[in-house]
Amino acid sequence: MADLLPEHPDFLWHNPDPQKSYDAVIVGGGGHGLATAYFLAKNHGMTNIAVLEKGWLAGGNMARNTTIIRSNYLWDESAAIYEHALKLWEILPEELEYDFLFSQRGVMNLAHTLGDVRESMRRVGANKLNGVDAEWLDPQQVKELCPILNISDNIRYPVMGATYQPRAGIAKHDHVAWAFARKCDELGVDIIQNCEVTGFLKDGNRVVGVKTNRGTISTEKVGLCAAGHSSVLAEMAGFRLPIQSHPLQALVSELHEPVHPTVVMSNHVHVYVSQAHKGELVMGAGVDSYNGYGQRGSFHVIEHQMAAAVELFPIFARAHVLRTWGGIVDTTLDASPIIGTTPVDNMFVNCGWGTGGFKGTPAAGLTFAHTIATGTPHDLNKPFALERFETGALIDEHGAAAVAH
Amino acid sequence: MLLISCPNCGSRDETEFHYGGQAHVPYPEDPAALDDRQWAEFLFYRDNTKGAFAERWLHSTGCRQWFNLLRDTVTYEIQAVYPMGAARPDRAAAAPESGTASTAPDSTTTGTAAPDISGTSTAPATSAGTTAPEGASK
Amino acid sequence: MADTAALNGINGLRHIRRSPASHLAAALEAGSIEGTVVLREGPFRTMVGLRVDPRSEEGARVVAVAGGLPLRCGDVGGADGVRVLWLGPSEFLVVASEDVHDSLGGTLIDSLTAALGGAPGQVVDLSANRTTFELSGTRARAVLEKGCSLDLHPRSFPPGTALSTEVGNIPVVLEKTGKESFRIFPRASFADFLGRWLLDAMREYASPEVP
Repeated sequence: MADLLPEHPDFLWHNPDPQKSYDAVIVGGGGHGLATAYFLAKNHGMTNIAVLEKGWLAGGNMARNTTIIRSNYLWDESAAIYEHALKLWEILPEELEYDFLFSQRGVMNLAHTLGDVRESMRRVGANKLNGVDAEWLDPQQVKELCPILNISDNIRYPVMGATYQPRAGIAKHDHVAWAFARKCDELGVDIIQNCEVTGFLKDGNRVVGVKTNRGTISTEKVGLCAAGHSSVLAEMAGFRLPIQSHPLQALVSELHEPVHPTVVMSNHVHVYVSQAHKGELVMGAGVDSYNGYGQRGSFHVIEHQMAAAVELFPIFARAHVLRTWGGIVDTTLDASPIIGTTPVDNMFVNCGWGTGGFKGTPAAGLTFAHTIATGTPHDLNKPFALERFETGALIDEHGAAAVAH
Repeated sequence: MLLISCPNCGSRDETEFHYGGQAHVPYPEDPAALDDRQWAEFLFYRDNTKGAFAERWLHSTGCRQWFNLLRDTVTYEIQAVYPMGAARPDRAAAAPESGTASTAPDSTTTGTAAPDISGTSTAPATSAGTTAPEGASK
Repeated sequence: MADTAALNGINGLRHIRRSPASHLAAALEAGSIEGTVVLREGPFRTMVGLRVDPRSEEGARVVAVAGGLPLRCGDVGGADGVRVLWLGPSEFLVVASEDVHDSLGGTLIDSLTAALGGAPGQVVDLSANRTTFELSGTRARAVLEKGCSLDLHPRSFPPGTALSTEVGNIPVVLEKTGKESFRIFPRASFADFLGRWLLDAMREYASPEVP
């Protein structure tokens, strides 16, 4: 972990015009799209590929998340893919030759009720069996790790303990995107910004091209990495996805001295807090209840979150909110992502990450690239196929997903 | 914060309501006849429209009645409020099955915070008249 | 606590009943500012949940007992000390004094049940469901406005009306009983929180106004 921010980087990628044709086109130039392109080029030798981004690079959820990285999910399938992601996070700064400030300061998930306690202990056990580092902390241990937390009995939802994953942490989200983008560019990937997909060309049931506001591009394969807008793209391609897009809000305070040494999440009272490298307190809320593409939510959600934060961290009571914003999260009914094939031949989808997309970025890229390159899923994403909604083999991660989907 | 016009109670804050997701999704007439794909469609697949979206809301803190909204999912503008069972107003011409869809727009930024209840009179005196409630007359 | 000496019934156990905000009684008294804003609990009202279509035949029978059913949001029906608050198009809250409760020798609930008969609907004794806060004084509206987003100005919320809404994030029925007086009906489990919330909201009026 570096203590100082690096200088603002020089141009890390070119801005080529789209070519007439590619071997594969990735729709969506966020973290997942860039990671997918990187692994397509690195692991599968596919370098005649393009990443199409309708706005600016990493300007969607990649610019709007709270940068938490952890892998303490309940079920085997989730633990496998998120833990693989965490292992990749650990080696990526070196591999990408870019210090994106991955800081393994640990993540705590607080328990506030007896039900929470039981569920948390169960998850610690499951994590250990899956090789994920996890500990159960009693309130005193919680206080030792995070002295600013209020562990008194005298609050509405007292801290009864926490799960703790020491290897978890945060990273600087925009640096992550730039790190992937630079490597993609070096490997020959075309990163094309301000290029909005307006439709797909199909030959029978096989996708053969992409229509964009910058012309038509023919391609062998298409990978969708559009998070909250996945349904819109799927509709263009002629199929449906079992996801609902909701606004998810977050905020930062003004800069403070370092006071918060770890990451604290509370599913029960709907708040999660870390302190960014610069010193802002970064806090996330729960999702807004209604479907929305507006990249903004309702103020009462933030108010609710702040009430919880101030009770847990009395020291925050006089901090000022600097900015609030919203992203569009693509939620599924089982709070697990969808990575795999689609009803359209040669079209693949990576979506449904809901509130957990950032931490999954490297594994999403790795497995999705494998799926696109070979036409069949990687072992890690096989259980996350679209078909699970028909077979009933759901992977219910509502407990571990932290903010309720 | 959305300001939602409840058909019974008038404009109220969003916090008084619960969201019910996509409207006009009928329960399958013969669930046993569905194959896995069709059942999955009913159970897990809902429209995720970007734009005008018909959805259900419940005024849980108020009259506890369900109703439908037509709301833009990008601007969050509420385009119509209409009763359960009525056809979606912007498609009513195509499907003229029912009658009383009211289109009472109530944007997220304007509108009154409370229903205009001035001048309402208490209770119908129909058969009650001056009859003393038995319980209270003791 | 209401004077219980005169009340018999409930198997003679009436005297051990505690109201949901009884533990706040001293705090409510201390926090009240006579002539400005006064808060007290008015406990143990008889309350009946009523579900009936007011336009039906059984509705008419119930009207005869309750003294009138309100037909619109905000309206209050009833007569002779019984008030019927509108909760929904076919749902009402009947509020009356404690002594009309059947357990104390009254007949209100029985009469309503008999009026409904076998028709669709329900009559449920909800007397223990909610307690009542009585808030009055020149600043009563200002106190409520700190946590209620309805327009509480008399032009849109005149005496004799009642609305289901939220005060301090707590779902309540809010009744305007006079020019400067309100009744607030929170569910019993919220009474402690709302009582303290109201006291906090009242506190500034104990100090002289800063010009």
